[in-house]
Amino acid sequence: MSERSERIMSTATRVTPPDEGGLVKRELHAEWTKLRTAPGTGWVLLAIVALTVAVSGAAGTTVSCTQAGCGHDLTKLSLFGVQLGQAVVAVLAVLTISGEYGSGMIRTTLTAMPRRVTVLAAKAGILTGLTLATGIIAVLASLLAGRLILPGHGFTRAHGYPPLSLADEPTLRAAVGSVLYLALIALLSLGIATAVRDAAAAIGTVLGLLYLLPVIVSLTPDPHWQRHLWQISPVNAGLAIQATTDLPSLPLGPWPGLGVLAAWTAAALVSGGLALRLRDA
Amino acid sequence: MTTGTTTPYRSRRPTGRAGFPHLLRAEWTKFRTVRGWVLAMTAAAVVIVSLGLIFATGSHSSCSIGTVEVACPKPPTGPGGELVDDRFYFVHQSLAGDGGITVRLTSMTGIITYPPPNHDKIVSGLVPWAKTGVIVKDGTRQGSAYAAMMVTADHGVRMQYDYTHDTAGRPGRVSAASPRWLRLNRSGDTLTGYESADGTQWTQVGTTHLPRLPATVQIGLFVASPSDLTVEQSALGGSVGQARYTQATAVFDHVGLRGTTPGGQWSRDDIGADGQTDWQRYHRPSGVRESGGAYTVTGSGDIAPLTDGPPIERTLIGMLAGLIVMIVVAVMFMTAEYRRGLIHTTLIASPRRGRVLAAKAVVIGLVAFVAGVAATAITVPSGTRILRRGGAFPFPVSSLTELRVIVGTAALLAVAAVLALALGALFRRSVAAIITAIVVIVVPYVLAFASVLPDDVTRWLLRLTPAAGFAIQQSVPEYKQVIGNYAPSAGYYPLAPWAGFAVLCAYAALALGLAAHRLRRRDA
Amino acid sequence: MEATIEVSGLRKRFGSTVALDGMSFTVRPGQVTGFVGPNGAGKSTTMRVVLGLDAADEGRALIGGRPYRSLRNPLSHVGALLDAAALQPSRTGRNHLLWLAHSQGLTARQVDEVIEQVGLRTAERRRAGGYSLGMRQRLGIAAALLGDPPVLMFDEPFNGLDLDGIVWIRGFLRSLAAEGRAVLVSSHLMSELQDIAGHIVVVGRGRVLADASVADLIAAASRDRVTLRTTARSEAMTALAHAGATVAATDRDTLTVSGLAAEHIVAVLGERAVPFSEVTAHRATLEEAYMDLTRDAVQFAAPGPEAAR
Repeated sequence: MSERSERIMSTATRVTPPDEGGLVKRELHAEWTKLRTAPGTGWVLLAIVALTVAVSGAAGTTVSCTQAGCGHDLTKLSLFGVQLGQAVVAVLAVLTISGEYGSGMIRTTLTAMPRRVTVLAAKAGILTGLTLATGIIAVLASLLAGRLILPGHGFTRAHGYPPLSLADEPTLRAAVGSVLYLALIALLSLGIATAVRDAAAAIGTVLGLLYLLPVIVSLTPDPHWQRHLWQISPVNAGLAIQATTDLPSLPLGPWPGLGVLAAWTAAALVSGGLALRLRDA
Repeated sequence: MTTGTTTPYRSRRPTGRAGFPHLLRAEWTKFRTVRGWVLAMTAAAVVIVSLGLIFATGSHSSCSIGTVEVACPKPPTGPGGELVDDRFYFVHQSLAGDGGITVRLTSMTGIITYPPPNHDKIVSGLVPWAKTGVIVKDGTRQGSAYAAMMVTADHGVRMQYDYTHDTAGRPGRVSAASPRWLRLNRSGDTLTGYESADGTQWTQVGTTHLPRLPATVQIGLFVASPSDLTVEQSALGGSVGQARYTQATAVFDHVGLRGTTPGGQWSRDDIGADGQTDWQRYHRPSGVRESGGAYTVTGSGDIAPLTDGPPIERTLIGMLAGLIVMIVVAVMFMTAEYRRGLIHTTLIASPRRGRVLAAKAVVIGLVAFVAGVAATAITVPSGTRILRRGGAFPFPVSSLTELRVIVGTAALLAVAAVLALALGALFRRSVAAIITAIVVIVVPYVLAFASVLPDDVTRWLLRLTPAAGFAIQQSVPEYKQVIGNYAPSAGYYPLAPWAGFAVLCAYAALALGLAAHRLRRRDA
Repeated sequence: MEATIEVSGLRKRFGSTVALDGMSFTVRPGQVTGFVGPNGAGKSTTMRVVLGLDAADEGRALIGGRPYRSLRNPLSHVGALLDAAALQPSRTGRNHLLWLAHSQGLTARQVDEVIEQVGLRTAERRRAGGYSLGMRQRLGIAAALLGDPPVLMFDEPFNGLDLDGIVWIRGFLRSLAAEGRAVLVSSHLMSELQDIAGHIVVVGRGRVLADASVADLIAAASRDRVTLRTTARSEAMTALAHAGATVAATDRDTLTVSGLAAEHIVAVLGERAVPFSEVTAHRATLEEAYMDLTRDAVQFAAPGPEAAR
């Protein structure tokens, strides 16, 4: 046996025993290296921040207030860009798994790390961390943009709108919630992509869920059904976390709303995990 | 082995004739032999039909008289078949044969109940399209033909007839200091309206032919005041309109009738009145008072086309889902070529690259069109029928408009698929292409329908982005003489149907051009 | 139209890498032309330029005197197998050929013919994604034969094939050439082309190093070396050196003599009564000829044959 093949063998023997210490650490490290060295990851993260902040800022410039009581939820408006940023988050998430299926690298991955669910968990962990970090920047920058832009459009103390501030409890909740929302969207997309595998089909499914359901909700004529659909729609319910005014009119409170999205995410991850475990790679 | 002396090989086979039709056939073979694509296209059509029918079945409207729920009465239908609003206070006499009416208006006032911002009191004032004046009408039946000369609160003198027609005269409000003289003459089926500031210098405002008008008509004074409307963003997405009762009062004098009026007596009718508001009960009912040749007429309602009721394109609610599926398939039809280098085989077989792209675009466009038209041709007519049975009266449209909605939606799907295909060729990566296609086509539409964005912004989105193409679906015309929520979220697009569609086509053409350029310039 | 491939003065760079550096050669009908060179020598790029997939910065590549992109039914002029994996895995093998046929105005009957020809009948209705490498190679060859073209190009057709597959392809290529077609086969291993190629184009670093018939190439590589086996090595060396030959000892009892024909060597040794057991005119293998030619042109040469292990 040549030296080279011996080295391969010894690597393999080092990887196989699963009950060694640092269970997920190696997978995490591998997935982090993979994501870090993938071309485009940086650009996608930049796009998440840029799109979120740009759209939030643009939304802020479109409204104006000339008298007291304009009836706008400024926090929600300032975080409007999250509704577009989530699409890019979904892309990042889908590509972390579908990209591997597309190129066939998944076989290399699963050969090197045979504990498939752990691999998925590692991917989920890295993705969550990355989305949280990116989300914090995007959300804070969006709020800052709103704080700078909105007073110029008549949203002043005189009209009953103090500047946006994280010291304000509902705004803080909306900001934290929006970051969590983005992370949950990432995990939801990851779960769907793991179950669907094909990148195109996965991104279509995710975007359908993100953008189609809200339209169906808003076009549903029966108010009873509309409320019910709203309550189970991951985007509608999840974004309740951004609402700071008129909370009683919402079919679900902010945290229960985010809980609905979390339930979707859990379901998606479980089905993704099952598919990964049970199907041939 | 020999060299140089062998006879070169000649195929004994007749050569095939390649050309664009063959390229089309090849691409069609490519499409239909991937089962997933065919299934997805079928699924897209099925989704459009099933979501549409579920939506229609789930739509009910109910009305109540007091606390008793009853089936909603069908709104009256105008001479053109459109649903109309026909409620006003009418002071009238019969006119046999030719004749006319002349009046002077010296005052127009009114009240609006509980307007914004606080919705807490009744204020005096007029809504912009409160209208009063003289009218010739085919009886007192709601929806019958008419022609009227009127003064409006904010839009000056108008001549209107048969609900949808409106001609502007001199602008300005009416007051004692600045009265308006109005005249409406009937001669056979010709009706002509005039206005004057002093009763001597007359200006013709408009003329029309109403061939359906019978020999004997009702002629007289009318007052109508449409509901005050405010639209607010709904917490659930979309918007909620709120209509509030208003009332107008006008003072007429110098009332002159010309022609044969067999009765010789004024009759009064509150056309289309259903019940009384508290304001009418306790403060001022609709009606007429006469003193010294001056008639003070109070009324409410409107004589106008009805714009509420679901438009027929609402039955295409599932179209967005179908669109997303078609975008995915169209992108894959292109990017599958790049995934494993199939594009090499394709380009070796057909080295003219622009033509390959054109063939792919034609195939995906036709497939999307056929799937789309199959779906919309089922969904729109049957969905409309189900809606009608459920008591929601969809806005009636001409069969030409219905055809435009059906075929136009399919064309919209087809062009969107071509745009997606072109993006696939540009990016060569399915995820990038799909996300771009969805962000430029679907997301603006979603934001217009279900977001907190103000209407002005969504209007610009629907002018400038490929989502402008959705305008092809608008079946309800926008009447400037009717107060309405003409917002994108209510189904009104800023561009005319074909203009909006042209915007989408322009984007698709641009993307195809760029894709062809890239395909030609770069090594495959 | 004459069945030839003419490549003249092709140049192409990818960034700072020179892929083609004045590549010129002609492929004639009736024989297999081997296109040999180390990895990265520009073989695939040349083929892609010939097929219009890549555009050359300079130079021309013609099929029967015409650029590929101007051909109306390209597949009835040239058939090519570049990458056997270049197909959509979800389509069946037969349907893959069917769309190709349709693009050339050909019919399903021709598809059946080529499937028969390459022996894929039993697998034609299976997803091409599930094909083994050998089956994919057969499918690629079927695609190349679809238009029954007088010119054929195969890029590394032996790669990854088992012995049966290699034997099959070699026979197949030979019979295609025997029908009078021009067949260009690239390979990075000269040995694969032994016995089937009538003509060889050796390339390295984007240009042609040798363009000759196999017979000439071997003769040139063999030069006039003679192998001599003798027990009296030093006597033989002295005698032959005196006669004007260059002598090198290759083994304890073997000498390689050049500059003197075999019959002269026998005469010289007989004159001096030097014993010898064998005199053979040396015939170089194609491999040796190739190694001679490419020694300087190998781009990614390993530091030494053993050092990499």
